[in-house]
Amino acid sequence: MSTAWHMDDELAADYARGRTGPTLAASVEAHLLACAACRGKLAPEVPRARLDRVWDEITAAVDAPRPTSFERLLRVLGVPEHTARLLAVTSSLKPAWIAAGAVALLFAALASGETSRFGTLVFLAVAPILPVAGVVLAYGRGADPAHEIAFAAPYSVVRLTLLRAAAVLGVCVALALVIGLAVLGDGGLMAVWLLPALALTTLTLALAGWLDPLMSGGAVAALWFAGFAAVAVYEVRPVLFGSVGQLASLAVFAVSAFVIFIRRREFS
Amino acid sequence: MNDTVVVDDVSKSFGRSRALSGLSFTARKGVTGLLGPNGAGKTTLMRLLATVLAADSGRVRLLGWNPVYDRLEIRRRLGYLPQEPAYQRGFTVFEFVDYVAILKEMVDRRARHDEVRRVIGEVGLADVSGKKIRTLSGGMRRRVGIAQALLGDPELVLLDEPTAGLDPEQRLRFRALISRIGENRTVLLSTHQTEDVAALCERAVVLKDGRCVFAGTPEELRGVARGRVWQSPRRAGVLSWRTGEGDFRNIGSPPADATLVPPTVEDGYLLLLDGDKVEAAV
Repeated sequence: MSTAWHMDDELAADYARGRTGPTLAASVEAHLLACAACRGKLAPEVPRARLDRVWDEITAAVDAPRPTSFERLLRVLGVPEHTARLLAVTSSLKPAWIAAGAVALLFAALASGETSRFGTLVFLAVAPILPVAGVVLAYGRGADPAHEIAFAAPYSVVRLTLLRAAAVLGVCVALALVIGLAVLGDGGLMAVWLLPALALTTLTLALAGWLDPLMSGGAVAALWFAGFAAVAVYEVRPVLFGSVGQLASLAVFAVSAFVIFIRRREFS
Repeated sequence: MNDTVVVDDVSKSFGRSRALSGLSFTARKGVTGLLGPNGAGKTTLMRLLATVLAADSGRVRLLGWNPVYDRLEIRRRLGYLPQEPAYQRGFTVFEFVDYVAILKEMVDRRARHDEVRRVIGEVGLADVSGKKIRTLSGGMRRRVGIAQALLGDPELVLLDEPTAGLDPEQRLRFRALISRIGENRTVLLSTHQTEDVAALCERAVVLKDGRCVFAGTPEELRGVARGRVWQSPRRAGVLSWRTGEGDFRNIGSPPADATLVPPTVEDGYLLLLDGDKVEAAV
């Protein structure tokens, strides 16, 4: 780094206005680091507007939140930046919860891999409830410590709830598909629980208009396990997953979605 | 009529517990202090004004809007700091305020970040905007809460006990900050610190058992106790405590050897809360 030379007025003015080439600019910058006299000469030459703009860009780059890998994935999938940020702070989309969900499903899938009737039942009982648990975690009082501030904000609570629920559902389905296909390779078994899962998740959200999400999720899970146990006594693949069960799931989904729509104000 | 907050005969119950009981008062631009003991209904009232709760009965108008029908319009003009706000673990100051900015419908990233920087600067936290909130002191966390409440330059700011638990120096800083905020907005400040009201507020509203027992200026609140505060060497009256000078400050009937002293806002407030006892003793 040389201090044997110094900038003259012309060079200072050219550099300040960005008129020097990259090689000369690099040389000037190396010199400026070591030479207070030239820094003093340069300072008045730099246009105030340019300095402010550069400084704004620096502070913006320093302050701006670093997107998480999940957020970056959402951006790649076309989700707008602000929506990706809202989803990225959802508890049940954090790596720890996703890992826990994956482990639960993996065990269910491994149990199901056993040719025993019990294994299949465990998988079919657990899989549809996983998104319900995720939704409860995604939008309960415990999930968002700043929920009171969020309630008083103009952002639609219904929209926020549905966004988070959809993201949780998407993550759970993707997990289940990957694990199921990798461990079981049974496409039929993987598909039958999707509609019940959607129905139970929507029912949880609909009940959340009256109850705390934890209570509504708990009530739905209890209802599901009770119904499942009642029919599983007689059948290997319970009627809940047959054509009648799928139609019933569709009906529950439709009614729940309608309830959410007409009671959307109550969510706030 | 320049009342920006109108609360008219409002009641709110939680089960059998009545939090607000026919409450009425008005507020306008500037800082209005809501005083009251614990359980008087201050937080219920703040949550109601923040549109987080709905009243069971009565009429509320905020900035000319009805919260029953125009909740969204109000929320777009509202800044709210709840009592004991909690923050997401692991969020930096900037990240948290940015998160709330998104909830306040600030979609454009650059404009939103500019606004986040502005409010963080306004509460004096620019130097720690990249720090995790959990590493900050209690006073700094309160300032984070105020920063988010200032997003979007709201017309109505609700601050629920922002000075509770702060040391005297932090409270002084808060007073300066809140006073500045109240210069061009309606600020409702819930507190049980009469010193805050005396130092900051143009108007004071005193709540007791869910009702408004006083609404006026701090000077008028002080006037409630005028001619009823005495200093004497002996304890007397219904409300009586020893001062730093060794004498007793008494509110109520004048004891022997007593000297009438000028009342404070706190004397007026105490008289309103325990007025029945004082009247009975006179």
